[in-house]
Amino acid sequence: MSLEMTMSQPLSRESRGFPDYELPRLVRLTDNLHGAAFFLMKLLPARHMLDRAAADGRLKPGGTICETTSGTFGLALAMLAAVRGYRLILVSDPAIDEHLHKRLLELGVTLEIVETPYEIGGFQTARLDRLRAALEANPGSFCPSQYGNADNPRAYAEVAEQIAERLGHVDCLVGTVGSGGSMSGIARFLRHLNPDLHVIGVDTPNSVVFGQPDGKRLLRGLGNSLVPPNVDHRQFDEVHWVGAAEAFLATRRLHQHHALYQGGTSGAAYLVADWWARTHPDRKVVTLFPDEGHRYVATIYNDDWLAALPGWTGVLPEAPQPVAHPSDVRPSWSSFRWDRRMLDEVLAAGTPVAHDLAEAA
Amino acid sequence: MPGDVISRFASVRLGTRGTQQKEHGFGQVNGHHGEILQGIFPDDAGRLHRGLVTLPCNIVSSTAVFRPAPGNLVTVPDDKLKAAEAARLTLDSLGLHDQGGHLTVESTIPVGLGMGSSTADVVAAIRAVADAHGAALGADEVARLAVRAETASDSIMHGDLAVLFAQREGNVLEHLGPALPPLEVLSVNTAPGALVDTVKQPPADYDEWEIQAFRPLRGMLRRAIRIGDAALLGRVATASARISQRHLPKPAFEEINAIATSAGALGIQVAHSGTVVGLLFDPRNPATVRRVAEAAAKLDDIGLPPALHFRTDAAEVRHVA
Ligand SMILES: Cc1ncc(COP(=O)(O)O)c(C=O)c1O
Repeated sequence: MSLEMTMSQPLSRESRGFPDYELPRLVRLTDNLHGAAFFLMKLLPARHMLDRAAADGRLKPGGTICETTSGTFGLALAMLAAVRGYRLILVSDPAIDEHLHKRLLELGVTLEIVETPYEIGGFQTARLDRLRAALEANPGSFCPSQYGNADNPRAYAEVAEQIAERLGHVDCLVGTVGSGGSMSGIARFLRHLNPDLHVIGVDTPNSVVFGQPDGKRLLRGLGNSLVPPNVDHRQFDEVHWVGAAEAFLATRRLHQHHALYQGGTSGAAYLVADWWARTHPDRKVVTLFPDEGHRYVATIYNDDWLAALPGWTGVLPEAPQPVAHPSDVRPSWSSFRWDRRMLDEVLAAGTPVAHDLAEAA
Repeated sequence: MPGDVISRFASVRLGTRGTQQKEHGFGQVNGHHGEILQGIFPDDAGRLHRGLVTLPCNIVSSTAVFRPAPGNLVTVPDDKLKAAEAARLTLDSLGLHDQGGHLTVESTIPVGLGMGSSTADVVAAIRAVADAHGAALGADEVARLAVRAETASDSIMHGDLAVLFAQREGNVLEHLGPALPPLEVLSVNTAPGALVDTVKQPPADYDEWEIQAFRPLRGMLRRAIRIGDAALLGRVATASARISQRHLPKPAFEEINAIATSAGALGIQVAHSGTVVGLLFDPRNPATVRRVAEAAAKLDDIGLPPALHFRTDAAEVRHVA
């Protein structure tokens, strides 16, 4: 679509949405650490993707949206579909949270639960096949595909605007990476104003996003079993892998010390950002807290559930363990100098730990 | 005839807000040095507009004198076609369709560098015509007439007010504050001798990432103005200049930027539809005198001796040490 056509399109604020829910509240945690606490971060990219699709005709008024997700992106789509009058088909698997399931049904979503994983490719491939079938069965339907849709990272210009307006110059951005939209998007926008911005991506062991082998993960929302095209690896100076137990404990600490009741990925981001802010007291740090804690009452905010976790110690490490290659990552908090490289480059070369992060600090 | 009704109505309207016609009307306006920011911005309703934030340059200006007379409108020099058009539109908007007169326009603003010479002539002419008829036109009215006379116009009719101005519509998208934080500017003409017709150029065809990227620039600009932070202003200007470089590239852009960085400038700023580039310094910093001299020497070395040196909050020329 040409620019002049884009400019003459009717815009988002004219269709219903949740503008005051999309942006985070900025909270100062320490002298140099600021948290961007979202209600539901995915509302922003979901709304932007739907707006753009509606503007260029990929999504018709009253049309059908199909997507595979069992997380917060599905909830955001469901909220928007409900108020904008779209039909929404979500493909998920039996691991979907029971309360989220009920909430999606209440919002009028058609939920397709894939019951059996494929022998090769597991649930992920089985879900993608079911999604393809749903798209074929509903000609003209729109699939937002958050992993590859460039409107996902571009949506975050509004968060970058808010950060630039409220905090001015920022030295370091820390956040978790799932689809890659939030961190790749905000990093690129803020770096346009500050080429020296230090960007730290937070992943979890057994996620392939930054080069770990795929495996079972207890910490959800960040990490992935495939490498989403929306992860712009060259934006990252550092990558940390945070284990589930540490992330959950840090989530509780974020609540205890700062009264922010957020989800598990917020805890993972907080753990890393707080460490970096402490070791760089003269630099301004912003970190992203993607969702609230209410969905995790029975888990992260339940002491008995936490105590039953495998390898639970109840103690938070003070600092990460630097590693020389993503394949050296252990089940607990590790860090690696990524140096704004492509994934292939990093996997081929690693980074000698001699120049490790402690030294860079 | 409907025309009579309109002109009678207009003259009544004129009568309520002006005094009588004077022998001479006078109009003046300062030039600018390109923009701090130019791009695409949403209005309050979310609709996108082309917009810009001008960097004032008060050491150059256009002046116009208008002597009303019945009959033709004569403009001197006679190649100031847009100023003549603006004078005509202003007379018409005052209901004075049969009125003519003698318009003289003089300017110290260099032509074709993106320093607002064309808009300045237009605005000076509008003000002179209005003044001659005792009509006090507000900046918004002047802007609307200017855009009609020349399609796209700069925001100089707003003076030092910091406004995000829709240059093709003539209205203010956002009032940012009473003024930009003061800057000391070292000006380079990157293409001496090459005149750019700043109005004839096609508007930049920004891509979807760029359209979004203007948002954080606008956010940082608001903060820079609110807290008077010249360093943030420099960051916004440099970022906008980088996007402009993809659409109207300035020769030696990277070299100039490197000189700015090594001399400790706050950033660089460009005329988004012209050839001048400004190195921005903080006038409140005592190191600026030395830094400006250092940057000027290095610019000289690459064959781009600075042509101007001025402060945005002052009207006198400064001399490069
Ligand atoms: C709770 C939570 N945290 C973090 C993320 C990661 O964000 P992104 O997909 O922008 O990388 C997600 C993504 O779904 C999420 O649901």
